[in-house]
Amino acid sequence: MRGLSRSAALGVAVLVVIVAAAALLLAGRGGGTTTASPSAAGAGAAAKAAKIVWASTQLVPPKEQAFVKDKLLKKFKQETGIDVDFVGMSYSDLSIKLESEEKAGKVTISLIADLHGGLDLYASKGWLEDLSKFPRLEGRTFPKVLEDYSHLHGIKAYVPWLTATYVMVVNKKAFDYLPPGLTKEDVMKGTEKWTYDALLAWAKNLEEKTGKKLLGFPAGPHGLFVRFLHGYLYPAFTGAQVKNFDSPDAVKMWNYLRELWKYVNPASTTWDAMADPLLRGEVWIAWDHTARIKDAITTKPGDFVVVPVPRGPKGRGFILVIVGLAIPKNAPSQDAAWKLVDYLTRPETEVEVLKNVGFFPAVKEASGVLPEGPLKILAKGVDTQLSTRDALVAMIPSLGAKGGDFKEVYLTAFKQIVLQGKDPAEVTKQLKPQLLRLFQETGAPLPPPDK
Amino acid sequence: MQERRRLRGLLEAADRVMPYLLVGPALAYMFFFVGYPLVQGVRLAFFDEHGRFTTSNVDYLLHSPFSMFRDALVYTLALTAIVVTVEFFLALLLAFFFNSVRFRGRNAALYVVVLPLTISDVAAGLIWYAMLTENGFLNKLLLNLGLISSPVEFFGWQNRGLEFLAVVLTEIWRSTAIVFVILFAGLQMVSREYLEAAEVFGASSLQRLRYIVLPLLLPSIQAALIIRTLFALQVFGDVWILAGRDIPVLAGEAYYEQVELHHTGVAALYALIIAAISILLGFVYIRVFRARYLEAGR
Repeated sequence: MRGLSRSAALGVAVLVVIVAAAALLLAGRGGGTTTASPSAAGAGAAAKAAKIVWASTQLVPPKEQAFVKDKLLKKFKQETGIDVDFVGMSYSDLSIKLESEEKAGKVTISLIADLHGGLDLYASKGWLEDLSKFPRLEGRTFPKVLEDYSHLHGIKAYVPWLTATYVMVVNKKAFDYLPPGLTKEDVMKGTEKWTYDALLAWAKNLEEKTGKKLLGFPAGPHGLFVRFLHGYLYPAFTGAQVKNFDSPDAVKMWNYLRELWKYVNPASTTWDAMADPLLRGEVWIAWDHTARIKDAITTKPGDFVVVPVPRGPKGRGFILVIVGLAIPKNAPSQDAAWKLVDYLTRPETEVEVLKNVGFFPAVKEASGVLPEGPLKILAKGVDTQLSTRDALVAMIPSLGAKGGDFKEVYLTAFKQIVLQGKDPAEVTKQLKPQLLRLFQETGAPLPPPDK
Repeated sequence: MQERRRLRGLLEAADRVMPYLLVGPALAYMFFFVGYPLVQGVRLAFFDEHGRFTTSNVDYLLHSPFSMFRDALVYTLALTAIVVTVEFFLALLLAFFFNSVRFRGRNAALYVVVLPLTISDVAAGLIWYAMLTENGFLNKLLLNLGLISSPVEFFGWQNRGLEFLAVVLTEIWRSTAIVFVILFAGLQMVSREYLEAAEVFGASSLQRLRYIVLPLLLPSIQAALIIRTLFALQVFGDVWILAGRDIPVLAGEAYYEQVELHHTGVAALYALIIAAISILLGFVYIRVFRARYLEAGR
């Protein structure tokens, strides 16, 4: 075949390659055979009992998931031979999945780990088993407040597993600058003298004596400062999170915060977590989630103490985050799921979780198992806050996808009132309808302590 | 003989189809990774879950008390204008310097200038954040030199002016290299013969610069400005690290609306706005920097 130009030869070669690739692809499709066979079904049923699905909205970040799969569940499998498929998902994903499974009548999830708010919603829709039918969990006592919250809509909806809260951390150096009338004991025990006014006086004293603004909050874009606004300040000053959003008490609260902010380190609006600023010495008094200050305590345990938050006119408002374990209605392998619940709520297991993730145990026996050291400092502070006489427990409302909008209302109020100097009465009046609309649209109940 | 003619016909057909086959993969890539997402973006921004046309996202952007659109637009455009201008002249100076002065260690100096290209915007933000904090390098230096008596506060909403400065510094430090590399390459392509001929004809160095070098550099200038401006409009990582949302920018707001607030339509709208501004500016650049006489020669 003389006379073939070079480009023509190239064209032929390309065509051949394309045809060959297509042939291989099509051949591969029909060639594969599945290995499933009817005889495997019997063995499959027995294997199914030894494998369950655990869906969770908590411990989802990669490091925490690795901890669950490599340490917690591996040990569980060694003990019981049950394989657990841990599936981390977002709040809305779990809600959608559970709803579709319950409606279709084909449930694949054997155990759920979720926040109180989510489990409250599922219990109200009848998607959870009543856990009182299962055998008692021996050797553990749950604090009364947790027991009470776990009974929802007429059933025992979940077993409290972990708790989390937000606390204040104080660098011991700050105790040299206490204002008159406030002692170190008052702060560490959370007496009635440890008030927000005392905090203001303390921060003012620090600035006057050292020339620096040593109070800090995680007010960065991913910081949790918004929880301080709706879960700490609002209950402490107005007795509720949402109901009294634009009340005169709320106006007093915003004026207080504006005054306090004069003594707060301005870089707070760039901080997402307080561990590093505390370690760098840029702040001596900080407020943040226990998990976000854990590193400061473990790095320099001798420098810091963890204390309860101050009290306001209506009480010592603080947020309690409860992670509960629940079993969906008509879930498969419920006995295996209960074995997992038993394993997870053992004091030793909960202490392991505290060490690795920073969530606190829900069983009282766990603090007995904690070794001396930074974690005990943390646990002591949390415990003190939970048992103050004037404790006013607040919970994060479960608004699903609208949770971000909820936070944005309080953050916008903060930005406009405290940073931009607008009138608190006007701003809160303008924003309140937006806030109420969220609860109307989702049908979610107002969170505690709102009644 | 018949077979040969048929075969030739087949090969000629293949030759005609060949260009389309060769462009095919690139076109498919563009369609799947640019075209389809663009259509989806428009759908997310302007249509609700039921498929009806809606301007609620535009409404939110312009009128909601939660939206920081106006500030984000102003800050993004201001940042782009300042950073691109400063970087352009700085890179031009550097390019001329490296092109005309031959000194020992020139190659090493070149590597150092280009080094920031390897650093991501987030890493650059973290580096400068660490340098500018109260206990950071810059404050310690100024305190030791006695130039200031207490640390300069660069961060925080109340220090927005200095935060903006920190962002500008970081951006210039990080990406002047991109503009420099393009201009430097373009400068090296200016043929020495033209310059020598001009010198023979008595042109001063300023005249050589104005009538020979700059016009021949125009395509590179155009390329450098388009690339740098388009990336400047998408600025995000270092602004987020240094200033959080104290200095909102369009890309940062798109991220926040999607990740924190789950307003997917609004985030899509932000992305479309960035794209629209980029297209507009790109068009302007191409018109303004068209090297007409060069095209005439083709």
